[in-house]
Amino acid sequence: MGEFKVHRIRFFNHMPSAIRVMAFNSHTERLVVARADGAVEIFNFADNYYQEKVIPGRDGKAVEALCWVGRRLFSAGLDGEITEYDLENLRPRNSMEAYGGPIWTISSNSQGTLLAAGCEDGTVKMFEVLEDRIQFQRNLSRQKGRIISLSWHPTGSQIAAGMLDMIKIFDAETGHATHRLLVERGLQRTSNSQEVVVWSVAFLSDHTIISGDSAGKVQIWDGITGTLVRTHLLTKWDVLVLAVSPDESSVIAGTSEGTVVQFQFISSTVDQQDKQWVRTRTFKSHSHDVRALVHTDTAVVSGGVDTQLVVRPLLDKVEKNTQESAMRKIIFPHRNLVSCAKKAGLLLFQFSDHLELWRLGESDGNGKPGDRLPVKRNPEKLIQLKRKGEDNICCSALSPCGGWLAYATVSSVRLYRLQLDNNISINKVSKLPKELNSVHQLSFSSDSSKLFASSILSSVIVASVKELECKYLHTFKPPSDSRQPVHLLSPSEDGNWLATANTGGEIHVFDVHKLKLHCSVPVCGSCPTAVSIHPFSCSLVSVHADQQIFEFSLKQKEFTAWSRKLQKQGMHPLWLQRDAPITRVTFNPNNPTHILLHDTSMFCIVDQILPLPEEKTRFYNQSVLQSLSLGERLRNSHAFKVYRNFQNLLCVDLMEDHSLVVVERPLLDIVSQLPAPVQQKKFAT
Amino acid sequence: MSSLSNMAKKQRGKTRTGYFLKTGDVEKPTKAFALTLESSDDEAPEEVTFEDSKAQALRSLKRALDSAKREKELLKEKRRKKQELFQEQKKRKLLPVEVLEEIDSPPSEKHKQSEDGAEEEAEDRTTSVKLPNVRIFKGNYTVRAATEQTAAAAFQRQAAEDFIQSRLYGPGSCRGTNNELLSIQNKNGGKKSAAVQFVKKGWACEKKAKAEKMNKRWIHKQQIPSS
Repeated sequence: MGEFKVHRIRFFNHMPSAIRVMAFNSHTERLVVARADGAVEIFNFADNYYQEKVIPGRDGKAVEALCWVGRRLFSAGLDGEITEYDLENLRPRNSMEAYGGPIWTISSNSQGTLLAAGCEDGTVKMFEVLEDRIQFQRNLSRQKGRIISLSWHPTGSQIAAGMLDMIKIFDAETGHATHRLLVERGLQRTSNSQEVVVWSVAFLSDHTIISGDSAGKVQIWDGITGTLVRTHLLTKWDVLVLAVSPDESSVIAGTSEGTVVQFQFISSTVDQQDKQWVRTRTFKSHSHDVRALVHTDTAVVSGGVDTQLVVRPLLDKVEKNTQESAMRKIIFPHRNLVSCAKKAGLLLFQFSDHLELWRLGESDGNGKPGDRLPVKRNPEKLIQLKRKGEDNICCSALSPCGGWLAYATVSSVRLYRLQLDNNISINKVSKLPKELNSVHQLSFSSDSSKLFASSILSSVIVASVKELECKYLHTFKPPSDSRQPVHLLSPSEDGNWLATANTGGEIHVFDVHKLKLHCSVPVCGSCPTAVSIHPFSCSLVSVHADQQIFEFSLKQKEFTAWSRKLQKQGMHPLWLQRDAPITRVTFNPNNPTHILLHDTSMFCIVDQILPLPEEKTRFYNQSVLQSLSLGERLRNSHAFKVYRNFQNLLCVDLMEDHSLVVVERPLLDIVSQLPAPVQQKKFAT
Repeated sequence: MSSLSNMAKKQRGKTRTGYFLKTGDVEKPTKAFALTLESSDDEAPEEVTFEDSKAQALRSLKRALDSAKREKELLKEKRRKKQELFQEQKKRKLLPVEVLEEIDSPPSEKHKQSEDGAEEEAEDRTTSVKLPNVRIFKGNYTVRAATEQTAAAAFQRQAAEDFIQSRLYGPGSCRGTNNELLSIQNKNGGKKSAAVQFVKKGWACEKKAKAEKMNKRWIHKQQIPSS
């Protein structure tokens, strides 16, 4: 496996933000998640739940509602604005004040022509969805008290609105309220006088209305007569969110307890005549409140205050004991928040509102493998840099020499010169080329003389940095007409090449000296999650969201023999079953045949000399190999050496002195900083 | 040698003169005292001529006038100085010329420079954010007149946020702590262990430090009466 001195780092206090709301687009199979800090993330459910795009949030931007209209994405929040996002350039496209105070919910009709927004001042505002913007059309009749939740009838003729103590049904044509459904106040709470909040409503095509409220009830109403059909008491706390399956046969409700309860429209007897809503299943996959739910055809997707996105396939809809039936938990972002200065031994941690620069500790001890070495010098925090302006940081980079630091927000890029010898100084580079204005990814070349930045329309900007100056050099344009954002930038170690990958799945390699395209890697179906160019053999290694690994020779412009062999034989099933994508590929200069890969739960050294594992061979065999004799060990080892002792990894990188940097983020540290969970009495505790 | 002795002499001389001076000073009141003592005896009051007394009265009057004038002048001087000081202070409070010039120059120009290549929408957004009556002060503060609209909006927003907060975490929401949650997990899980504050050393550092301090104080209190 190879021996390394490991810096095991646990001082990166990365704190993911709570999931506030989600929306699923069944045509494109994209799930959009909005977090409490205003960030909007897009996951591709067709491509192994890969987090394709992240649009960073802003101070004071609290997204309360999300809505897909066709391929367009709208959000609204307590700042009273409806925002449309530009998903190609990863920024808000335009915002429109609704003039109704904070907006609690938005919902579009099934035709995608109208957008209804429920406001704090008690109005439901209708907006017409035009080609390039939305336009205010009219108000429905104004109510007393805030509109918390909205749901269109699938035909678009009626809207149900959840409020305090009641549900109102509006006629969408006339704008008048036709029914008023009074919701009973809870008996469970101590203060009976408190109004009940209808957190969520769902309007089904058979005019059934389902509501979830703060008294912990899920109620089923007849929307034609306006009468209560049935009440299910779920919890002592709140039912915060409801979601309906596309075929309207199942409804799920998320509670403050962290449970998700499923209701199904089935008949209690064998004859199929009298169907009713019956509580069927309870899932407990969260420790804190469930604030967001999506019911896809085959799975329940939930998220909440505990910041985890959980995809739980329904076992009656998918084949059992397959990869599709496995539960997924997505805790950490699928991109790198840590940059390493390999030569200087520095680490840059990216938070949403600041950056931290740390110097690695040192140890002079030598020990056996597995020993803990005494620390001679503790790691120290050199710089904490607060971001300027209101926008959150979307990407950051540290140059390999440790002399430059750059970060970008949606609106601006900032570049700093660092001096860290005796007295630490940081100087801002004042004049940046104006091409650097909308950037999604930043990277420095290995000799720290160039800055690469991925920009609008899938282009990559090259700028030279030298002595407090930054000069624009060139823009690499993609050869295809793809407009998807470039999410990976990987300059080669020798400084000749730059590999870029965009969320459309394209990988291009540019010649940095001649400033032109060198070649494009054939597009495979899955989005690349990490790319890197081998320093000696000049081959590009790409790892994709479906866990496939490819090696592409830049000289011959074709896949290498090893890559062909790997594809012919196929990956080991256990490798394919891992649920987190590989987020970093590095190489070991001492051992050119080794490729280092890592995801959140393991890191792996792929040895290209050793035989590939057969389907029958034991895949996770490192602990077994240690107990064998040398000859046996050689006979039994295979190319994938997986090491799983480090968990919740955010970064594994090899420094120039051949020590390994491992950045862990224990889940316990995250849970300890979350808001309070509900107080549950467990028997015998 | 000689110089030294000279110096010594000088010093002695000095001290002597000093002494004499002092004694002289002291002598005056004693003399006056003696005089009064003497005058208290049955001697007739001194004869003072009319001219003398007139001259004396005039002199005293003049002196009083003079002193009043001087006082006035002093006061004037004081006021002038104060005025000058104020002016200087004012000048110091004012911004340097460059900054003033920068403020004077139209803000849109600067803005364009930084956001030239950006798309139209972005420009629209940022310009709309920048209100016309924005003044830049020393330091990183910008102050602008709060319009009625934004104040009302902020109030509404705050009310909405408070509403969520009070509904989910307010009184009557029966919330526990993460500590309890994790401790129950530790207890119920397959791998049993103690409550989290004992397992994890970094948990609730401040509270632990406070408890330690209180303990020490308590021990100290216990020791004082016994000793």
